[in-house]
Amino acid sequence: MNVQKDQPRSPHLPVKRPEIKNVKETVLRIWSYMATDRWLFWLVILFVIISSALSLLGPYFIGTAVDVMTGSISSYGFGQILLILAAVFILQSVALALQNYWMIDIAQHTVYLMRKELFAHVLKLPVLFFQRSKSGDLMSRLTNDIENVSRTLNTAVIQLTTSVLTLAGTLIVMFWLSPLLTWMTLTIVPIMFFGMKWITNRTGKYFKKQQSELGEMNGFLEETLSGHTMVKLFHQEHRVIDQYQKHNEQLREVGYWAQVYSGFIPKLMNSLNNFSFAIIVGIGGWIALSTNAATISIGVIVTFTVYARQFTRPLNDLANQFNTILSAVAGAERVFTILDEKEEEMHDRKKRLEKIDGDVVFKQVSFAYNEEETVLDQISFHAKPGQTIALVGPTGAGKTTVISLLTRFYVEQSGSIYLDGTDMKQISNESLRDHLGIVLQDAYLFDTTIRENIRYGKLDASDDEVENAAKMANAHSFIEQLPAKYDTLLEGNGHGISQGQRQLISIARAMLRNPSILILDEATSSIDTITELKITDALNRLMDGKTSFIIAHRLNTIEEADLILVLKEGQIIERGTHHSLLQQKGFYANLVETQTVKEA
Amino acid sequence: MRTIFKYAFTYWIPMIIALFLMIVELVVELVQPVIMSKIIDEGIIAEDMTTIYIYGGWLLFITLIAFTAGISSSFFASHVSQGVGYDMRKDMFTKIQMLSPMKMEKFQTSSLLTRMTNDVTQIQGLLFGLMRIMLRAPLFIIFGIVMSFTINVPLATILLITLPILFGIMFFLMIRGMRLFQSVQEKIDHVNQIIRENLLAMKLVKAFHRLTFENKRFQKVNNRLKDQNKKALWVMEIVMPIVMLIMNMAMIALLWFGSIQLEMDNAQAGEVVAVINYATKMLASFGVFSFLLMNVTRGKASAVRINEVLEENTDDEVKRMEHRNKIKGAVKFENVSFRYPGLEHDVLHEINLSVKQGEKIGILGETGSGKTTLLHLIPFLYPATSGIVYIDDIKMEDWGNRVRHDITLVPQEGFLFSGSIKENIAWGNEHLTDNEIEKVAKEAQLDDFIQTLPNKYETRIGQRGVNLSGGQKQRLSIARALADNPSILLLDDSTSALDATTENKVLDAIRKRKCTTFIVSQKISSVVDADQILVLEKGMIKGAGTHKELLQSLSLYQEMWQSQQKDGVLIDE
Repeated sequence: MNVQKDQPRSPHLPVKRPEIKNVKETVLRIWSYMATDRWLFWLVILFVIISSALSLLGPYFIGTAVDVMTGSISSYGFGQILLILAAVFILQSVALALQNYWMIDIAQHTVYLMRKELFAHVLKLPVLFFQRSKSGDLMSRLTNDIENVSRTLNTAVIQLTTSVLTLAGTLIVMFWLSPLLTWMTLTIVPIMFFGMKWITNRTGKYFKKQQSELGEMNGFLEETLSGHTMVKLFHQEHRVIDQYQKHNEQLREVGYWAQVYSGFIPKLMNSLNNFSFAIIVGIGGWIALSTNAATISIGVIVTFTVYARQFTRPLNDLANQFNTILSAVAGAERVFTILDEKEEEMHDRKKRLEKIDGDVVFKQVSFAYNEEETVLDQISFHAKPGQTIALVGPTGAGKTTVISLLTRFYVEQSGSIYLDGTDMKQISNESLRDHLGIVLQDAYLFDTTIRENIRYGKLDASDDEVENAAKMANAHSFIEQLPAKYDTLLEGNGHGISQGQRQLISIARAMLRNPSILILDEATSSIDTITELKITDALNRLMDGKTSFIIAHRLNTIEEADLILVLKEGQIIERGTHHSLLQQKGFYANLVETQTVKEA
Repeated sequence: MRTIFKYAFTYWIPMIIALFLMIVELVVELVQPVIMSKIIDEGIIAEDMTTIYIYGGWLLFITLIAFTAGISSSFFASHVSQGVGYDMRKDMFTKIQMLSPMKMEKFQTSSLLTRMTNDVTQIQGLLFGLMRIMLRAPLFIIFGIVMSFTINVPLATILLITLPILFGIMFFLMIRGMRLFQSVQEKIDHVNQIIRENLLAMKLVKAFHRLTFENKRFQKVNNRLKDQNKKALWVMEIVMPIVMLIMNMAMIALLWFGSIQLEMDNAQAGEVVAVINYATKMLASFGVFSFLLMNVTRGKASAVRINEVLEENTDDEVKRMEHRNKIKGAVKFENVSFRYPGLEHDVLHEINLSVKQGEKIGILGETGSGKTTLLHLIPFLYPATSGIVYIDDIKMEDWGNRVRHDITLVPQEGFLFSGSIKENIAWGNEHLTDNEIEKVAKEAQLDDFIQTLPNKYETRIGQRGVNLSGGQKQRLSIARALADNPSILLLDDSTSALDATTENKVLDAIRKRKCTTFIVSQKISSVVDADQILVLEKGMIKGAGTHKELLQSLSLYQEMWQSQQKDGVLIDE
């Protein structure tokens, strides 16, 4: 006898059938992850068959036992039957336990492998890929979709197989026992079919409405809650409450009908069970009496009442289980599309540079995202070791692209970049980046201690080295003031410390790395003047003796540069030092003229 | 849980009807095996066809009753659960509107959002399920045993002995399993966190070439997740085979004792069958228990979270009281200190300040020096921890939040609501005419931009409309504030995204309004003409005076001024 698992369906959204492009291919691909576990998988299937068969035998032998008891069958001894029953039940439980155990093993191992490969792959994807895809969507694929596959593999596979087997098996045994009674039991199938259809037509409609109402209410809530201070300042509390009540009432209305209709489902199923029970007992009894040949015994009736239950349930669940599996397959497909993304090109780039001076030459370098949009057009310049190069220009001029080519986030389409005279195309990514230090505008900090964040620049650095780097970066003094000092945990990308302090930590990180080439993206957001001074001071120390490329926004940084490149629409329109450019009275001079703060 | 009952109790009539209908269904299911035993004993064995007809008819009839009861209960149960959800959401929202900004910061928007949506839905589901399905399982088991006793005492005793054992084992395993799942959730969080970090810091990871490092880090948590998941799932999955085994063994015992009783003529075949039938149905309802336990636990947690909101003290109730005369605009701070509850340091320390009506005050200082907090004290968004704030020589406590009628603050990141530009400007004052709206838009230097939009003032912004740049948002926020015709205007670095020329025009327009104005800024140039400039450091006033005075008296100010002289932001847009 089977226990009904998760029997009452909660009034949640019905599982929607997702769109999948290629079911077969995706399933085969999941299958390929099970390579090492395949024999185990077949063993699980074997045990599912066994346990399903045993779940049919149980009620049959109970019926037989009843018949032996009432004396209508005397071919078996009663004790014999009970022993057989005991064996059947024990085997059934053992088979169930084992199939579950192995399946969990297989599923978790498979998902583990998928996660591992996916993560490693994502790390190798080119930067352009991340710019193309929405980060929320990517995150959801990497987490929810995989989690979905995990959950489904754990249980749905076994459940679906069991459902199908039990359904088929029950039907066969029922027909074998009594075709007439089986047909009578089957009369509930069309009722169930049309009943469910009637209900789901309605629930579908109301659930959809409920979902959109909920969405609107959410939007409203998000806005008014984050604008809470505004509401207070403008004394709009009561108006906002009135507006909210409208959403709330609408939601109650559709929620009511959605729940009412979805509540019909278990009741319908239950009533059909009761109905089939009545049919089996009533008509079974009538047949048992009216045909003297005793085609139906009491035992058969008992068996049938159990079978009828076993039969209607999988019928009801099948559609759901199938949809669950499909939604997991759809999730897996989304995951696989990421795995199919091309990695950063690594081949042909094997040359390692042990030590470099930092001589960088751009020779007619061009770059475009696609055919129409040229981002960089024939850029050429020469940065000598130790020089500071400032990149200046309006947003979208291509400053970030120049830097992205240098860090090999993007790959140049034509022209060449030379590092100490070697074409960068020949240098391995690893070797190139080993010599780079980078301080980005949005100084990213990991959810760990300040110490580990700085150490990220050089993994084998000692605590002393870390603290020295922090001192050089003017970060030491504020870190010492924190309650846990270097062991302060930064959570949520460095929440709790200011934007400027985050900058200082990321400078310390680059400082520890001690690179030959330094890349800086100056922060545009307003940092208070005092911290700004500290940052400038730290940066000067960091840039000392290194070839530095700076996307600059502040005049005093630019003034000190050895070479200023003024970019506009992907081209270098002016180049020179601050003074020489001022004398040219061109684009740059104009910028400085209009934007510099004047005394009022 | 008490909260849930309190809310559910308002709907006690439909609730009792729903419960009654559920019990009707239950009775039907309990009676079925009895009728079955009658058919077997008095019909088939006694070979009496009429009995079969009569009882068969009864069986169909009660099935119909159960069906009607089940369907009707849906209406009542849904009424209760949706009503409770509605009431909870309403009360929470109203409560939230009455909370002070300080309390609001404690809760955080995202957490409140989940409380108002997910948590309420959770409780709705729990109530609905309880009234219709979940309570039925335990009731069925209890009544089933009682019924079994009326049929045959020795057989019923077997059931009575088995059930506590079953419950014990099941709850032990399930509680263990649920604990394990909590730790699985933690492991999932770890995995997700590393993924999120790597997506966000992707450039950094690449530039520092930390592929191996990150892969190793990920493998560690991935492995832990796998192991923990296996353990938890295994515990949960073992429950059913064990429960089934015990119940099935009880079944064999039933058959055995049944046959012994039969031989001794103490029982009839139908009775044995009926008890077996009860046992079968009880076993079937066991699946519900895992469901019940999980839902009740989750519902409880949700109720606690909802309760936290509902039981919070309303410390900022809006009193619809007589409007006093319009505020003139004088502000005085007398030894005002402020600290967040539970923290050790003052954010503001003994601030003294006296501002006359119509003056322009500039506030400068490092991040975290207390500038924003100082602004928040003026419209009573925060209460002073000690000291007194006076507006027009009246104590803040006496004003209460009515003070906000004539005081407006513009936050740094201009906050906008979805809707048209017009609606946004008139957000605080719905009765504004189109002319007035245009006038404030011009003052905020926004009219020129709006005229370039296809639908002008009717253009929708926000989620489903035009995206505005930071500077445009700031100007729109300023327009909204001006539309409120404030006596005191507080600008919290709210011109930071404007270029120098536009900023000057906006500030000039504000100056002409002759309202008292506080301007927090990073740039001295924005406040250079102020009547008073305050330089804050670590929550204290380091210096105060006009630009000229400060240049002479405060070296920190000189330093800032010099560095800013050449530190203009060069290029924007």
